[in-house]
Amino acid sequence: MKELKTETYPFLIIGIGNTGRGDDGLGWQFISWIKKLFEIQVDYEYRYQLQIEDSELVSRYNQVLFVDASHSDLKNGYELKQCNPVNHYFFSSHAQSPETILYLTECLYGVKPKAFSLAISGYCWELKTIISTPAKKNLDAAIQYFTEEYIPKISRQ
Amino acid sequence: MTKKITIDPVTRVEGHGRVTIHLDEYGQVKDSFFHIVEFRGFERFIQGHPYWEAPVLVQRLCGICPVSHHLAAAKAIDQIVGVDPEDLTPAASKLRRLMHYGQIFQSHALHFFYLASPDLLFGMDAPVEKRNIVAVAIENRDLAIKGITMRKFGQEIIKSVAGKKIHGILALPGGVHNSLTEKERDYFLDGKNIENIDTMIEWSQSMVSFIKDYHEKNRKVLDEFAHFPSGHLGMVNESGAMELYHGKLRAIDFEGNITLHDVNTDDYEQYFSEAVAQWSYMKFPYLKNIGREKGWNRVGPMARMNICEYIPTPLAERERQDYFAFSGKKVVNSTMYSHWARLIEVLHCAEQIKLLLNDPDILDNNLETSGEHRSKGIGIIEAPRGTLTHHYEVDEKGMITRCNLIVSTTHNNDAMNNAVKWVADHVISRKGTITDGMLNQVEVAIRAYDPCLSCATQAMGKMALKAELYNHLGQLIDERVKD
Repeated sequence: MKELKTETYPFLIIGIGNTGRGDDGLGWQFISWIKKLFEIQVDYEYRYQLQIEDSELVSRYNQVLFVDASHSDLKNGYELKQCNPVNHYFFSSHAQSPETILYLTECLYGVKPKAFSLAISGYCWELKTIISTPAKKNLDAAIQYFTEEYIPKISRQ
Repeated sequence: MTKKITIDPVTRVEGHGRVTIHLDEYGQVKDSFFHIVEFRGFERFIQGHPYWEAPVLVQRLCGICPVSHHLAAAKAIDQIVGVDPEDLTPAASKLRRLMHYGQIFQSHALHFFYLASPDLLFGMDAPVEKRNIVAVAIENRDLAIKGITMRKFGQEIIKSVAGKKIHGILALPGGVHNSLTEKERDYFLDGKNIENIDTMIEWSQSMVSFIKDYHEKNRKVLDEFAHFPSGHLGMVNESGAMELYHGKLRAIDFEGNITLHDVNTDDYEQYFSEAVAQWSYMKFPYLKNIGREKGWNRVGPMARMNICEYIPTPLAERERQDYFAFSGKKVVNSTMYSHWARLIEVLHCAEQIKLLLNDPDILDNNLETSGEHRSKGIGIIEAPRGTLTHHYEVDEKGMITRCNLIVSTTHNNDAMNNAVKWVADHVISRKGTITDGMLNQVEVAIRAYDPCLSCATQAMGKMALKAELYNHLGQLIDERVKD
């Protein structure tokens, strides 16, 4: 459980959300399922929110995937997008966007890892520890996409 | 005519607050309030839960201060199982302290680098797009990297003993559940994987030098800005030294006269009462012997500097002496000196962490002890933001029947209101319109206390800060919302 990291793989997946808030736990659930189903050489991190110091974490990887629940009703239930550094600072110092984190990574550490964000549609955000049935369906679709298309792509890189 | 102005980005404080400023017919400030408008609920909904759940449940009050709530609750629950602080095993006591110093180190680093530094580096009147950590990162790369690395170091200390950086668990009733391995300890000492503790001490010293230099250059404004008399409260050890985990409660007035003389934390109820106001969910603690009007105290880094006789680590003690020599005062009552005091505490915590990492007790596996169960437990610690009290009572089945939390920010309620009033009187009065720079000065004054409004009201939901300006007829004439 303590796992103070001394070595890293080149690829990082960050699950963002809160499993105590219904479908907000989709990002964490995604990681849990991937870990359970596959043995791939990837580092995983769980975050309630992205914070400024995550720019240092991200700087140590070649590729990063941010996985988060989305309020939007996305086509297929999920959406994968390339993520680029952008300085759009959010008011709270305790919740940053993946784009701002990448921006800080570039400014502070001089590196620009390849990054994607995977949004998965959620519907219920109240205090509960399970995700809703339609959100689970979206999660399954996202996992299927990840395993059938995303992993083969990064394996070729 | 009512005018609404929206500010983006929002303030750099934790939680949801609202400032209202009332003017008379000449545009002079008549009154001002810092309202905390979220509902306070944790004290109620923890009732009916078994006592051993408290240290885990209460840390969910906040994502910034979970360690402080975990440890204050753990100290209280120790007493429920018949264990006083001096009864803990050396390993348990030192591992909890290690976690506590890690928490203060990372929390103070967060406040200084992420929240306060934009005001100091770019000025209180800087445009909003510059008043944030991203701008600091762009223009002060070295400072930003140090800030991030220092905060991360503190978080890793927490993770090493509690398993997670946020909402991890170390304490059990009467002890802790795990010690460090040699490999984990060496992670912080050898510098092979991360910047080590010696670097943290060196960087902490450089940050204190930075703030000293800043005070030299801006002495007048820092001495005068939000300066007002108040009491100061904190904890000291038997020798009068600064104590952050367990000691005696001491309070002084604005001139240094003792108003609470080194009393046992278990007796806090004899000395403190809490007032309420119609316009805020946050209470107003005060010393009973002095009364509501003058019995309130500032807490946190500046108060701790004021009440202690010395700091028990050499580098921080030297800085404390410089702090008072520079101020020329026996007791510092200038709000902006809080930042300097906070950085001296960063150095103190780094020194304490080094001492603990080199102490073989933190590798020991004698972790728990027990005693005869009691029906009441009180745990008080010095959290990053000040004196934090957790008080629980249980029935014969061990279910919690009463919970009282006096959160650090609550003690600073009067202080923050006085700071807002100072800015209203000195900056806004007779000006008519709130400019952006003026509003930020209101926030600078509040921000110096590093308030955690989420903790103080135990709230859920979206945070914001709103400032309203009323004329003498009670009409809203200007409003700023940051959400």
